[in-house]
Amino acid sequence: MKLDLVHDTQLAYRKLMDSMSRPGLISELGELAGKVGLKLNCFDATVLLAAVLLDTEVTFKIISEKEEEIVRLFNQLTYAKAAETAAADFIFVLNDANSFQLEEAIRKAKAGDLIHPHASATFIVEAEQITNDNGLVLSGPGIEDTHHVQVSTCGSESRGSWLDERALRNIEYPLGVDMIFVDRDSRTLCLPRTTQISKKVNN
Amino acid sequence: MNIAYNFAFFDEGSKREIRRSTLKAIAIPGYQVPFASREMPIGRGWGTGGLQLTLSLIGKKDMLKVIDQGADESVNAVNIKKLVTKTTGVRTVDDTEDATVVQSRHRIPEVPLKEHQILILQVPLPEPLRYYEPSEFVTQRLHAEQEYSGAWLMLFEQIMKYGHMSTGADHPVMVQDRYVMAPSPIPRFDNPKMNYSKALILLGAGREKKIYAVPPFTKVVSLAFDDYPFEAESFEGASCWQCGATGVFLDELIDEGTGETYHQCNDTSYCISRLNARPANH
Repeated sequence: MKLDLVHDTQLAYRKLMDSMSRPGLISELGELAGKVGLKLNCFDATVLLAAVLLDTEVTFKIISEKEEEIVRLFNQLTYAKAAETAAADFIFVLNDANSFQLEEAIRKAKAGDLIHPHASATFIVEAEQITNDNGLVLSGPGIEDTHHVQVSTCGSESRGSWLDERALRNIEYPLGVDMIFVDRDSRTLCLPRTTQISKKVNN
Repeated sequence: MNIAYNFAFFDEGSKREIRRSTLKAIAIPGYQVPFASREMPIGRGWGTGGLQLTLSLIGKKDMLKVIDQGADESVNAVNIKKLVTKTTGVRTVDDTEDATVVQSRHRIPEVPLKEHQILILQVPLPEPLRYYEPSEFVTQRLHAEQEYSGAWLMLFEQIMKYGHMSTGADHPVMVQDRYVMAPSPIPRFDNPKMNYSKALILLGAGREKKIYAVPPFTKVVSLAFDDYPFEAESFEGASCWQCGATGVFLDELIDEGTGETYHQCNDTSYCISRLNARPANH
């Protein structure tokens, strides 16, 4: 791995912070993710985000058919410990997971409580492609007017219903889950709990 | 003894912890996220919250501006710049336009911030309800229940005593209709700059171990009553004696010889850039 754990993680964090503070802003992590250089069953950008976010102080859950393999790797790389979905600080939903698993994870994930709304899970979800095409209309803090994004998820199954599940989980603001999406080309997009999403109706 | 510190002073674990807290703070605008607040080579309460945020996010290509009450050259600002440059090698700048990261104590610069910039404010007392309620245990619950009578009561009592809201600085604001937040001791003059700011604003309280944030384009409303509207400090009829600026935040000074009062820009780099832009024969 050629990733510089001081400077490359700093650059990745800044891009992530840009995207988190401006939901709908797609940040390119490609150059940094390219330095990961591990042949793995998950995207390079996912490993990069794990390096930015995980350490011994937090727990994570991997939702994938290759859960065991990726858990071992993330544990070796970051020393973070795996936990069940309901307790995990970071939940990685890899691209081989199906829509049902993503929805279930959103349902089970911790959303904090009113005194500690920050004690909630952050999702890192692998998507096939993230673009600024019409599709989802975002509004809320960080967005001047509205932003348009399209998150094409993997496989033949539609993952569209995660939107409803997310809306349900975030209904009692400030409780909720924050989501980071990464795609095959290492583009990233964030949907913090404050972002309101509506679907564009095609005429 | 010469110690080779890690880039940006902190070990990577400390940075990661601050970064995780910052991301949560951005996701819940105005909510104070607790963080570990590491020991720093300057005393707690002297800008360590802002400094920790700066160190957690700064990179080799950043341009850093640090101001203290609007001044680039004050002791606090200079020492913070020295610590950051010695441990990172980043360039420091005075012109607000040139900076990518602006760390500030008690002011938001006169030059409007842009989208690629990050403003970091040093916060002594992050809890807007502290004046009314000394217990952290209780104020956490008041925030949870959105019970902000204390903040309103504080302003109401000021009106009863003085006939107007007398917050000199740190006038509480409501963020995105949910959290009442201390905007740090910026003058009321600067409060409106937070509303739908183009730049991300991060606030750090080192001694009180809290990080909070106002993302760009977020609604920030200064608390006020219908019959006692919020008013910024007025400098009607006054201008800077050096550069002649009006409509900016001015310091009132007294000429000790004559006893006359005069005004000067509080934001020194703004004033100097105006002076430098003047034609030479002026």
